Amino acid sequence: MAKPTSVEVRAYQVGFGDCFLVSFVYARGAPRHVLIDFGTTALPRRGAKSVKPSAHLPRIAEHIKGVCKGRLTAVVATHRHADHISGFATDGASGGAGKIIAACRPKVVLQPWTEDPDAARDARTATRDTSRSPKSFVASLEAMHRLAEHSWRMALRPPPSMSVATAKQLRFLGEDNIRNASAVGNLIAMGKRRGARSVWAHHGSPSGLERLLPGVKVRVLGPPTLEQTEKIRKMRSSHPDEFWQLLGSARGVRGMRVAPVGAQRDNAGKPVPAEARWFRDRIASLSAEQLLEIVRILDDQMNNTSLILLFEVGAKKLLFPGDAQIENWSWALQDAPDAAQTRALLREVDFYKVGHHGSRNATPKTLLWENFAKRGAARRLQTVLSTMKGKHGTAAKKTEVPRRTLLEALEAQTELHDTGNISLAAGREPCEVITVKT
Amino acid sequence: MSETTRRPSGDGVAALPATRRMSIIAQDPSIRRKDGTILMAQIDIPAEDLIPGPMGYRVQVVDYDASTGRYNGAHALPALLDEEPKAWAAGSPKIVGDFRFHAQNTYALVMKTLARFELALGRRVGWSFHVHQLKVAPNGLQDANAFYSRADEGLVFGYFPGRGTETVYTCLSHDIVVHETTHALLDALRERYLDPSDPDQAAFHEGYADVIALLSVFSQVELVLELLRRGPGSGDTLTDAQVRAEALRKTALFGLAEQMGTEMDAVRGDALRRSAELRPGKAWLDDPEFQEPHRRGEILVAAVMNGFLEAWTGRLELAKVPGQKRHSLIRVAEEGADIAAALATLWIRAIDYMPPVHLKFGDALSAAVTADLEARPDDRRFALRRHMLASFAAYGIEPASTRADAPGAWAHERERMRYDRVRFESMRTDKDEVFRFLWDNRDEKRLNLRMGAYTEVLSVRPCVRVGVDGFTLHETVAEYYQVARLTPAELKHKGISLPPEYVAELERLRDEKRGKREESLRAAGEEIEAQPAPDTDPVTPVYGGGVLIFDEYGKLKYHVHNDVFGGRQSARLAHLWRVGQLRAEAEGARFSTERLSALHRSRAIGARRVPAERW
Repeated sequence: MAKPTSVEVRAYQVGFGDCFLVSFVYARGAPRHVLIDFGTTALPRRGAKSVKPSAHLPRIAEHIKGVCKGRLTAVVATHRHADHISGFATDGASGGAGKIIAACRPKVVLQPWTEDPDAARDARTATRDTSRSPKSFVASLEAMHRLAEHSWRMALRPPPSMSVATAKQLRFLGEDNIRNASAVGNLIAMGKRRGARSVWAHHGSPSGLERLLPGVKVRVLGPPTLEQTEKIRKMRSSHPDEFWQLLGSARGVRGMRVAPVGAQRDNAGKPVPAEARWFRDRIASLSAEQLLEIVRILDDQMNNTSLILLFEVGAKKLLFPGDAQIENWSWALQDAPDAAQTRALLREVDFYKVGHHGSRNATPKTLLWENFAKRGAARRLQTVLSTMKGKHGTAAKKTEVPRRTLLEALEAQTELHDTGNISLAAGREPCEVITVKT
Repeated sequence: MSETTRRPSGDGVAALPATRRMSIIAQDPSIRRKDGTILMAQIDIPAEDLIPGPMGYRVQVVDYDASTGRYNGAHALPALLDEEPKAWAAGSPKIVGDFRFHAQNTYALVMKTLARFELALGRRVGWSFHVHQLKVAPNGLQDANAFYSRADEGLVFGYFPGRGTETVYTCLSHDIVVHETTHALLDALRERYLDPSDPDQAAFHEGYADVIALLSVFSQVELVLELLRRGPGSGDTLTDAQVRAEALRKTALFGLAEQMGTEMDAVRGDALRRSAELRPGKAWLDDPEFQEPHRRGEILVAAVMNGFLEAWTGRLELAKVPGQKRHSLIRVAEEGADIAAALATLWIRAIDYMPPVHLKFGDALSAAVTADLEARPDDRRFALRRHMLASFAAYGIEPASTRADAPGAWAHERERMRYDRVRFESMRTDKDEVFRFLWDNRDEKRLNLRMGAYTEVLSVRPCVRVGVDGFTLHETVAEYYQVARLTPAELKHKGISLPPEYVAELERLRDEKRGKREESLRAAGEEIEAQPAPDTDPVTPVYGGGVLIFDEYGKLKYHVHNDVFGGRQSARLAHLWRVGQLRAEAEGARFSTERLSALHRSRAIGARRVPAERW
């Protein structure tokens, strides 16, 4: 089959989410299809009508099935956020979209190492683990989902002490971080199917895709493992826990609140004397802000479990970094022993899936962006941005997604494909096809 | 003094005792005696008649748990030490779940810290929020965090499930309670230190709270004795080698770090261990890792704690009699506890001599040296000033000032000031009178109070000094603050440069706003002015200010200040822009401050900001 003659990337309109079908086209033989992420947390309106995920996700799944003619080579779930995996769910909320994908019988299900279910099973009992052990870390991810679910439920019916803005952000972050049991279960089941396997990858580990994609080299650049990040610390003994610590530690997220904020005021307690009521109300509202602060940190940490994949097809390089933020990137770009080679490789990237829907933290400015040699007025670099404006962050705080300055740079220096421009009208293709000739 | 102390009063009725004694947990519940009981300590605090809560004249405990919505009740504390339940004095592990004991432990440590500050400064210290009582929630949230919040006028302590089956309560950790109380007191004395500034200032709030907390822990003889007993010594004595600074570092600093509950690291970030391990080095200050406030504070803690060890070992050496080979354990412990207490006092007095805005570590050191020199001229016993200067120098921190007769101290004010129109008595208490003094001496030759900046006297307070003859003298310390709100062109004229990206962003937003306005004027058919006035350009505030120390005759002795148009402003603004604490908006600059709760959390997870990689 030799090497592919071209790569077609279908970027689907999933509102605030990611869904890419990457098809490797060969001179002879059928193309091979890899689905990278499939999820959404917000969909644009169709005219005046709102679009339900339970209707939209099956439509996309059917489209994918049509393109790949019912056979997927692999499915990649970069990390466990709803906007990347909700389409894999098989329940009513996704309209059973995950069943359609499962029926395409992917041979490999590729996920970050943090999703290994065996680690999770052990982790539940390994409560006396050291803070840095992988088991403890994975257990903490579980705790995070419980916390997210709890905060999301609370924000749906906010107690009087919770401000409208706090409730809104908690709903948004909570929803994205909810465990999504159906999607996770389907990803595991797809990997266990006869003839299929699951791969849980980390920086430098094999992706499991090489043999399935002749002529394609797939590098896993992230996430790093705990052992890898451990090595980067300058003052190892005195500085034991850094990036993974919050989630990795038994004393981190498992130590964090799981009880409702002011939900049942004065629950079975004693009556509060008049002179204590002002402060009581202050702590109640503080408590909601604290919860948001924690959920926000955990949301970032979850983004940092993202797979970062580099596909090398002939001389062409395609980069898919999920939602990885600087803490994940910094290992590959700065701290790993082969960081210089990685930077040299990434200089030549031809196609870049913009990290984290265009947020300010996920396209490292000096380490990654300024290193891209093919950006510039000639627009030799192709980029794809899957996002929905006005959903997250505020311009005044420079937290808007997509971030204005990044968007300006993408527009000026690359050939930008924005999924926001894809119409949801019936009869129109729900995706844009970007072709990279090899 | 204990509660048995009675002072006779004029009318023959016994006066109320001034202090009372309470049982507290010496450090935290993980430090146990051999028999499994928790190591306790008894501390003296100002006596008062509490109402249930407990609620007193400076502190109100509100045992409300916002996570469960449960009020644990208004606790009535035992009136006397003898009335405390036996389990408290004995350190029974049961007290960990006793909310009434939580209330006592927290109340006692907050009051002890307040009393330590008031004693050192020789005056009452009011809270920064201008009401009398600090609110304290000992079990306020289920969260691995504890913090001070000015807006909420209080301290909130969290609790969380530990690794085993036990719940971990932050309000039972001596260092955490003192740390949070110190944040509140520092905020009361220097309200501008929570404002965005150089990396040193944010680091100082956190580092200083650690310093006072650790010195408070080490000033308990019971605890130091226990640590030394667990060290390598045999029986009741220690050898010369065992009391050298390095050996004391192992037995005392690391010893305590080992014993302290490591689960609490999620709250305190392992300050003690890190500072004990951070070896002297001049490069730390410039290390990128130590630009984060929570890491940078560790340099300050390390410098103070290393100086503490040197002073301790130096004192033992000095007090030796000829031929002495061994040191009594109790004496070593007592000297250590005394030095810790003296060092805490030195660092508390230092605040009066610190500039009110834009503090750098070197300023703090000069302030500490000067304050100690004024209050305790004879430094022969503990040589604290010498040890502080040496230890800070080893970490690359040089005093901001020095003078021939007193290394590291602030220079005396030499300019002749005008006192003709101010009244000496009023100058001791009245902000307006001090402002008049500033106004009368505003010219360049005297105070050089920059025109174009708005000036406000923030406080006027008495401060104590001991004269060479041993008499206590009352001096006055006044803080003033300056702010100038200038356009980019005006700042340039003052020699202050702004980050180019920031200026571009200001201009973009200004033009956008003007464009919108013109559009709406055009739509309404109204006229558009040809050229907008330059004073409508967006402004960026710059801050400055100083502290004035007047001697017992009302003459200005020290003037410690940061020029509002000074040379450090450009670098400071560049730093704030880089880390995202300075933002451009259509009307001008907007500064954002990190909340202490968030700072603590960043500290616990070792968060790193990488501003260069952001958009």
